[in-house]
Amino acid sequence: MTISIVQCLLIGLWTAFCLSGMLFGIYTNRCLVMAAGVGLILGDLPTGLAMGAVGELAFMGFGVSQGGSVPPNPMGPGIVGTIIAITMKDSGIDVGSALALSFPFAVAFQFVITATYTFTTTLTSYAVKALNKKDFKGFRIAANATVCVFAVVGFIIGFGGAYSSEGLQKVISLIPSWLSSGLGVAGKMLPAIGFAMILNVMAKKELIPFVLIGYISIAYLNLPVMGVAVLGTAIALLVFFNAGKSGSRSIEEVEVEFEDGI
Amino acid sequence: MAYNQLEKKDYLKTSLRAYFLQNGFNYGNYQGLGYANVMFPALRKLYKGDDDKLQEVLQENIEFFNTNLHFFPFITSLHLVMLENRTPSKEIRNIKMALMGPLAGIGDSLAQFCLAPLFATIGASLAQDGLIMGPILFFAAMNIILLAIKILTGMWGYKLGTNIIGTLSSKMEQISNIASMIGVTVISGLAVNFVKITTPIQYVAKMPGDQQKIVAVQEMMDAIAPKLLPVLYTGLIFYLIKKKKWTTYKLVILTVILGVILSLLHLIA
Repeated sequence: MTISIVQCLLIGLWTAFCLSGMLFGIYTNRCLVMAAGVGLILGDLPTGLAMGAVGELAFMGFGVSQGGSVPPNPMGPGIVGTIIAITMKDSGIDVGSALALSFPFAVAFQFVITATYTFTTTLTSYAVKALNKKDFKGFRIAANATVCVFAVVGFIIGFGGAYSSEGLQKVISLIPSWLSSGLGVAGKMLPAIGFAMILNVMAKKELIPFVLIGYISIAYLNLPVMGVAVLGTAIALLVFFNAGKSGSRSIEEVEVEFEDGI
Repeated sequence: MAYNQLEKKDYLKTSLRAYFLQNGFNYGNYQGLGYANVMFPALRKLYKGDDDKLQEVLQENIEFFNTNLHFFPFITSLHLVMLENRTPSKEIRNIKMALMGPLAGIGDSLAQFCLAPLFATIGASLAQDGLIMGPILFFAAMNIILLAIKILTGMWGYKLGTNIIGTLSSKMEQISNIASMIGVTVISGLAVNFVKITTPIQYVAKMPGDQQKIVAVQEMMDAIAPKLLPVLYTGLIFYLIKKKKWTTYKLVILTVILGVILSLLHLIA
């Protein structure tokens, strides 16, 4: 499958919008959103959605990585990975392999973002100079410059990724089939990292029952996801209301009483 | 010199300008440039005709700043109230800097660690079924909630002055607790659905009377506990993060190598 120049431009604009959205805090710089857009533009929404789902879960954890480590950027699977998955669907690349293959891009893009933030450090001195001269317009240009740079960077990545997709296909088709099927298996395991990262941040000891409820309702009861959310809400509210009733009794006290009973 | 009065709509406008807080993001002063830029229209109105004062306040407020942008309107509203009441700039600065950390903590744990993972897993699971509603639901839910938070915190700051942060954080803690309970339920449920590891291992068992039976290990494990391998693998990763402090890069490399080698040996599929 080839990508027309109009589609390249549209993917470029879409990427520019999604990447700038990272600064606006509107949650467009997520694999789920980006992949659906690329799917729509390339006329293969089902693959876009499937790619968005696996990519989102694999990268979900990066949103919460703490400390100074620079997380890989979801443009990797969301834009490049989706382009690979859609254009190479017929040559045995499934969304799992596309996810694994797009990982190096995700790392590369994050270096680009870091470089942008470092480069825009010069804006501060520009803004200070402008303010010293009471040049308020100059100040406002400086204060909005990072987002403009982001839009340009996003466009280049999106357009470039789409435009060079044929070259990309040639390189990927050189990969032997045992490796690409192995990468597919690995791709389906990658969401474990995202889930574990999130649980590492969210889960406290007191929340273990909720982990088990979640497991039971999906693995044994096959509940749909909205059902799990409603069930979780019901139990969370129960806990919340009962916590209000029993006053200041803490968990430790209850445990002590229990042991005394034995 | 008498300053102009700000109206409620100026506070609202400044609250909504929180979207632009990171438009000038850089590693030098983080959201510092954005801070002054968000306040700019309100400041210009407040100090109309007094460019010296406008310059002074802007210069004071481009210093380092970093917080959660959804709870940020609370700070700007307080800041404007204090400017209108002619609070000394040193005091304003103390309050501003004191709120920066706690609001970042509350905001990040609610938006990044509760809401986003919750709606992302729900959205991803709908998308997995081929429904365009998945990404739309994620995007709409996040933005509606976060917009509401921006307006609410902005208005709270406007109405209640400086003594509100205590009540706010205790309320937020309750909401965030409920959200984590729901989030943990959904996320751990979906973890076993999305992490796909199965084993094709089979062996031939001798049955009484010289009969032979092919036993699939996967079926055996499903009878004991469904989705056992995804649970174990997610548990292993969890352990590596929590106890061994592995970075994500190491985990991804480990997963890719394990995936390729084990599938090559036909141990998993």
